[in-house]
Amino acid sequence: MSGAAPKGPRLGLGLSEDVDLLRFEQQARAIEAAPGPAPATPREWIRQNLFSGPVNSLLTLASGVFVLFLAYQILSFVFVSAQWEVVQVGMRGYMIGSFPVDEAWRVWASAYLVIILAGLSYGVSARRLRPSAGQVAVGAAAAAVAGAVVFFTAQTPLVRGLAAGATPAAIAGALVGRLFGRKILRPLIVAWVLVFPAIMIIVRGFVGVPPSEWGGFFFNIIAATVGIVASFPLGLLLALGRRSEMPVIRIASVGFIELFRGVPLVAWLIFSKFVVDLLLPPQMVIPDIIKAFLVMTFFSAAYIGEIVRGGLQGVPAGQYEAARALGLSTTRMMALIVLPQALRSTIPAMISHFISLFKDTSLFVAIEVTDLLAAARRSASSLLYFGTDMETLLFAGLIFWAVAFSMSRWSQRLEVRLGVGRR
Amino acid sequence: MADRSATAGIGEAGDDRQIVANDVVKSFGHFQALKGISMALNKAETVVIVGPSGSGKSTFIRTINRLERHDAGRIFVGGIELTDDIRNIAQIRSEIGMVFQSFNLFPHLTVQQNIALAPRNVRRWPKKKAEEKVMQLLERVGIPEQANKYPAELSGGQQQRVAIARALAMEPKIMLFDEPTSALDPEMIKEVLDVIEELAESGMTMIVVTHEIGFARHVADRVILFDDGLLIEEAPPNRFFEDPQHERTKRFLSQIL
Amino acid sequence: MRVLRAAGQVVFVVVLVVIAREMYLNASFALGSAGRELSYTYLDSRAGFGIKEHVLGYSPNQPLFKAFLAGATNAMLVAAIGIVMATVLGVLIGIARLSSNWMVKKIALVYVEVFRNTPLLVQVIFWYVAVILAIPRIESSVSVFGLAFVSNRGAALPGIRSGADFGTWLLFVLAALPVAATVWRWRSRVHERAGEPHYRWLLSLGVVAVLAGAGYVLLGDAFRVELPELSAHGYSGGLQISPEFAAILVALVVYTAAFIGEIVRGSIMAVSKGQKEAAQALGLSPGQQLRLVVLPQAMRVAIPPINNQYLNLWKNTSLAFAVGFPDLINISTTMVNQAGHALETFSLVVGTYLGTSLLISVAMNALNRAVALRGDTA
Repeated sequence: MSGAAPKGPRLGLGLSEDVDLLRFEQQARAIEAAPGPAPATPREWIRQNLFSGPVNSLLTLASGVFVLFLAYQILSFVFVSAQWEVVQVGMRGYMIGSFPVDEAWRVWASAYLVIILAGLSYGVSARRLRPSAGQVAVGAAAAAVAGAVVFFTAQTPLVRGLAAGATPAAIAGALVGRLFGRKILRPLIVAWVLVFPAIMIIVRGFVGVPPSEWGGFFFNIIAATVGIVASFPLGLLLALGRRSEMPVIRIASVGFIELFRGVPLVAWLIFSKFVVDLLLPPQMVIPDIIKAFLVMTFFSAAYIGEIVRGGLQGVPAGQYEAARALGLSTTRMMALIVLPQALRSTIPAMISHFISLFKDTSLFVAIEVTDLLAAARRSASSLLYFGTDMETLLFAGLIFWAVAFSMSRWSQRLEVRLGVGRR
Repeated sequence: MADRSATAGIGEAGDDRQIVANDVVKSFGHFQALKGISMALNKAETVVIVGPSGSGKSTFIRTINRLERHDAGRIFVGGIELTDDIRNIAQIRSEIGMVFQSFNLFPHLTVQQNIALAPRNVRRWPKKKAEEKVMQLLERVGIPEQANKYPAELSGGQQQRVAIARALAMEPKIMLFDEPTSALDPEMIKEVLDVIEELAESGMTMIVVTHEIGFARHVADRVILFDDGLLIEEAPPNRFFEDPQHERTKRFLSQIL
Repeated sequence: MRVLRAAGQVVFVVVLVVIAREMYLNASFALGSAGRELSYTYLDSRAGFGIKEHVLGYSPNQPLFKAFLAGATNAMLVAAIGIVMATVLGVLIGIARLSSNWMVKKIALVYVEVFRNTPLLVQVIFWYVAVILAIPRIESSVSVFGLAFVSNRGAALPGIRSGADFGTWLLFVLAALPVAATVWRWRSRVHERAGEPHYRWLLSLGVVAVLAGAGYVLLGDAFRVELPELSAHGYSGGLQISPEFAAILVALVVYTAAFIGEIVRGSIMAVSKGQKEAAQALGLSPGQQLRLVVLPQAMRVAIPPINNQYLNLWKNTSLAFAVGFPDLINISTTMVNQAGHALETFSLVVGTYLGTSLLISVAMNALNRAVALRGDTA
């Protein structure tokens, strides 16, 4: 059965088509993963794939020249003409913005918490005793680059030590995770659920640092996490509301989703102040950044609502019928039968949405938040390092890219595990 | 499996063989689907290939029109050797018509357009000539009234008959059928088999891969058993079914009869 | 049980209504205490600020709504051109991803993975700062055969100024259309009758070109090609493209093309293998297989996700704030700073984005219906 054509766009504003793009890619990957022809000798391979005809040969040569040219430009810039001191000097700003330096331990604590949990999760879930050669190579390369960056940019031995300690901490976590295996799965899940509130406490608690002083890469991560975590329950409600039989609820849900999806996030952020001020009682005074977070949460919830709706649609009608036949109430049916299946199938789309949201946190610069990108731009316009736009942009871009790319790769591996994209 | 290197004399005058396969080998990754198949097909002959699933029957006929590329061995169609040369492949494909298990009709075109597509675009026939041919073929397969419908509006049996007409439109010398009735509901199998039988009786050279034993007994000039990538036995139907020589053939027959 | 469910829904609605009423009261109170009501009359007041580029003409003396219109039309221009270019590039990338040439395939893969995973804002700033501003300054403009100039102030290309006879010339072109249509029909008939290739696109467009050319020669002043001039202060004449415009356009096109490329690739792979095999078995050349069998089916499946990408591109024009291009958002913020009335302006912003998105979706919907696989009614 080929991928059944999705129904055409309704008179809406581009609804679940994000999910369709994902489905294409899943299908494409499934097709590509099918066993191919027997491996040929290197010479044969070169002939077939690169020089199989006059047109192909020309293409190969032209692209080869292009790639070499590009590589030369990039490498000569990176290793010869670039002024990387700007990154070294600005690193703290990039990472935490104008977060007070004495409180930086909070950021370190949160980071280590996440790293150790991630290591544990990897250890618990990894199937093979040893990662594959490819994974080791990639991991080593990433560690080498990160190590070089750390070494180069750390201002004090303390920072250097803390940054260098991240990799051993992760590995230690992985080993411990593998040691205990499935036994700690449940506590691990609980830990992940609690990690976000825990970080909030670490950062805000004990006379902590208010959100208006958060900045740098730390801000991007936190904002994206707040966005997803807070918008998930609301998105769920919206998806259910959209399927409700009561017209009032349905129209309200649709209206909410269309409104937040139809207007760009930048507009929402810039006008968040005014809109939220309007709708809240005058006694409630909340910092502007929280208003922006609120608006971003609603924005994300609209997308999540659509993703969940797609997932709910994917649950076969037979499931509903079977649940009803067993006498389950609507709530029980949804909670025990429908939602678990629906949500499982939406995991790749959810991760994709998280990646988008993470990229979109760079837009907070429009309301004068100094995130990673803003910090990079600021250091490039400082008197001392004027003209270092390329270096700073490349660095900031690389960090964003690295996170987004790893998450998207992880999502693909997860798909295979979950068997999503089966046709 | 006697070694039949029958490659001598191919293409020379008097050589009646339409297809000659010599020691054909094909692997998918680590799985060897064909382990050395040798056979020949004569003009106006109907050969039926039977065998368990995964035995390589479909793979074999797909190598003949290059839907799969054989890894070793030689294949000759109408005297021309099947190689990587695109011109050879194109010429061979124009001599062969293929009917698939899943019909593969083009859903965005009407029955008429499906059948006329290749003659008009490959042979460059004018519209009138193509239309006449379409109606002629639809009459032959028994559904002239469906000309302007879309495939989705037809039953499975009707769709497969359209697929046969589409393959015949290019006036091929050889027809290959890859399990033509396996995807059909039981009540529609007969209408398709009748068409294939009529085709055989009119002198078409063909290979039919099928599970329909009754058809094999009735229509085949020769029956071939494939198992596990090898050609096990090859004989006219009465000898094949009444007096099989090989153990595996006996086992196969006992399982299905 | 029934009662419980009904009661639950009633409670839910009541809660919603209470919240809505609360917000409404807050809103009226907020507005009332500030001494204003929602009114749109401020839009008639004089804008008082300049806008660097505009499609319909603008000056600081114009009313505010003209300023808003200028921003909106700027954004729409970028979106319109961007959608076309992104589609072309996206289709090329998608096909490159499927190429049998390993180098081409890998380059396309790297392209997609790089531009999809980097925030669009980074890309916009990159194109502006690292590429366009890095081009030589106006004093040392790069000159292209003396016909066009490129510098970090932008590009100046030969432009077209309509002359006195422009209207008459247009009539010429209009008259050429029925002639072209006749040629089209004639060639189609020839093709059907005798099977020759029709070349109908070539011939009918050729007819239009010949007649338009004849009109130009005969009339004398249909239009003039205006070459840009370079002076110490800058460019004059011709068609000028600002670096801001170029930056936001290029960034949007490159970014969106990566997504469209994936859609194209996925939709082609979604066409079942059997279709391609049937076309192959019939003897169709690879080009014919693609054109007659695979692409028509792939296109139908690709339309909804591509619609979504167009909507994204339109919304992403808002990132022009990063380079100072006067788009919708940029102008609106200036308006708010200038004249207040944030909520009214916001409502205009919302309306414009939603309205244009609706237009795009309606057009794509119509396209979708026109090419939908027929016959599914059986």
